[in-house]
Amino acid sequence: MGLIVNELTKRFGSKTAVDHLSFSMDSPGVFGLLGTNGAGKTTTIRNILGIMTPDEGEATWNGTPITRETLAFGYLPEERGIYMKTKVLEQLIYFGMLRGMKKEAARKSAFHYMKKLKVEEYRNMPAEKLSKGNQQKVQLIAAIIHNPRLIFLDEPFSGLDPVNARVLKNLVEDLVEEGKYIILSTHQMETVEEYCKDLVILDRGKTLLQGNLRKIKAGYGHTNLCVSCGCDVDELAHEEGLELFEKRAVETEYKITGDEMAHRFLKRLVDQGIYPIKFEIREPSLQEIFVKKAGENQ
Amino acid sequence: MTIFAYTFKEGIRKKAFWVSSVIIAALILLLCLAPRILSAFQKDEKEAQEQTQEVQADTEKTGICYFMDETGIFSENIPLFQALAPELDFQVLASDGGDTAAQLEKIRKDIKENQDNAAVIIEDSGTAPSVRVINASFMHQGISMNAVLETCNTIWKTKVLTDEGLNSDAIMKAQTVLAGEEETVGNLDLTGYVMGLVLTFVMFFAVYYYGYGVAMSVASEKTSRVMETLIISAKPSRILVGKCLAMGVVGLVQIGGLLIVGILGYTFLVPDGAQIAGFELSFSNFTAGTAAALLLYFILGYAFYAVLNSVCGAAVSKVEDLNSAMMPVSVVAILGFYLGYFTSVAGGGSNLLAKLALYLPISSPFTVPFRLLTGDMNNSDLGISMGILAVSIAAVSMISAKIYSASVMHYGKKLKWKEIAGMK
Repeated sequence: MGLIVNELTKRFGSKTAVDHLSFSMDSPGVFGLLGTNGAGKTTTIRNILGIMTPDEGEATWNGTPITRETLAFGYLPEERGIYMKTKVLEQLIYFGMLRGMKKEAARKSAFHYMKKLKVEEYRNMPAEKLSKGNQQKVQLIAAIIHNPRLIFLDEPFSGLDPVNARVLKNLVEDLVEEGKYIILSTHQMETVEEYCKDLVILDRGKTLLQGNLRKIKAGYGHTNLCVSCGCDVDELAHEEGLELFEKRAVETEYKITGDEMAHRFLKRLVDQGIYPIKFEIREPSLQEIFVKKAGENQ
Repeated sequence: MTIFAYTFKEGIRKKAFWVSSVIIAALILLLCLAPRILSAFQKDEKEAQEQTQEVQADTEKTGICYFMDETGIFSENIPLFQALAPELDFQVLASDGGDTAAQLEKIRKDIKENQDNAAVIIEDSGTAPSVRVINASFMHQGISMNAVLETCNTIWKTKVLTDEGLNSDAIMKAQTVLAGEEETVGNLDLTGYVMGLVLTFVMFFAVYYYGYGVAMSVASEKTSRVMETLIISAKPSRILVGKCLAMGVVGLVQIGGLLIVGILGYTFLVPDGAQIAGFELSFSNFTAGTAAALLLYFILGYAFYAVLNSVCGAAVSKVEDLNSAMMPVSVVAILGFYLGYFTSVAGGGSNLLAKLALYLPISSPFTVPFRLLTGDMNNSDLGISMGILAVSIAAVSMISAKIYSASVMHYGKKLKWKEIAGMK
């Protein structure tokens, strides 16, 4: 049965922060809750978890309304908050015990995740002495220390350097392998493409797009062509009807109307004696889809 | 229980807890040592006075005391006056019935210029003589008016009684100073009164200080955003109760520790029958029942204000805004304190204001300690007061828990009390 969110609505005065949002997650994996800043992602999570009371709709887990009493979910809030003056291990045990764990079990779990996220050496240090990235890892451990099946991660990658982001991605992959249901809220669309099977994109509280990521992207077809060949081929591309989309340091991306257009362009390049290092026909990125849909909605 | 244990541990570990404990313990020990220190000073002072008197008897006089007696009755007893001011050289001026006014003016001028000098002028005003003492100023009193008057009275009475034919034994008997002792039949005694007032202050300080701790703890967790992590783990009402209980127990631990220091200090440092400024250090009013009632009132008073303070903590997003958010509760607490304090200073009693102070939950925690220590409280009053306070705590807790739950996740601009009241 998994997670079902049905017609969830939250209003603040005359402003509707979340407008009749519905989605479901019936198997373990990562579900993407996407949208720009202020789209209503955090409000959605808070309403699902019962931190706020929705004006309409409900959220259930295996058919039972979600409350802190009925489900020991995991939650990494967007706003990072840990006790700065308290030692890392001590507060992790405290958070574990708050989620119903015995002290020893909380300690064991804390050590397990500290080792996994490479913060074990800081266990006896007050949190204020840790870097921001490490503080974030500590808070992530606090969110999952009690081994929850349903986990909400609100902007987990913001502020992380590439190395720490990789460590976190590995952890998310491990959690999925363990059969966890993860709701990943972010405004960084590119990060979602790595994990999410299903997603919902919010725009000012309304559902802009939702469904299976593969299917959504497939629905748009092959619309982009990435070319890298060490010389400027824009003129040739223009002659073949390709539309310049983005010029990057080592490659250029064009908009195409279909695979045939790309094939014609490749033939033209080879005929001219230009052999591309990279020639990739691909679907539009989630970011592009979002911008397009948001533009249509304006 | 987990929130309670954690908050308690954090409260105990704070530097402020230990610093304030050490400072107050040092003050208590100093107070216990005060009788010894004071008696040592008093002893030194007494010895110094005796030495001064001895020295003065043998050394030169520091000033002149002009003595003019129109009656001739008192000048025969100069040694009696001399004993009142041994440092002055008594010069008896003849009163020849001439220009007394000019003579007096001359004396006044002399005393003005020589501030150690003084004068005793006894005028014959018909039925009984009148006494005038001239000193330079109230700061430079060569001779005491009261002492001179007392001596003059004794001399005058002796003369009158002698003239009436009484023998010296009868005169001495007539002039015997009668022994007197004041006895009060009410419950209010000085020791209880002073101790009661002291406890009123202590109770206010404790309730306010530890209540502020609750508000600060809540506001800090909101500021650091830990609240969002807490709130998914425990009901806001449980967080509220856990925090209030923990800070209350922190308070009890600190007060208990200070009490032990006080008892040890009193037992080992305070001499038997010790007095400070004439006030005997006695704790005879502290019965086990009184102590239990005081403890209960601290808990109830603290609980009442702590839940109100926790709402203040939940209403702000930044710790800096806490003081202004606490203003309404602080005003109520101060009003309650002054109501309790002033009715206590007035000696309690059963007038309307005193009854109000006793029954109102905002003031009863600051009123009852005084009443208990002065014995001015019957069991029914205690029961009613305690009952009202307990019911008020229950009501305030229920309302506060709702407001706390609604406001604890509010961030942004500071909530106004009107907005808080309208929260669902």
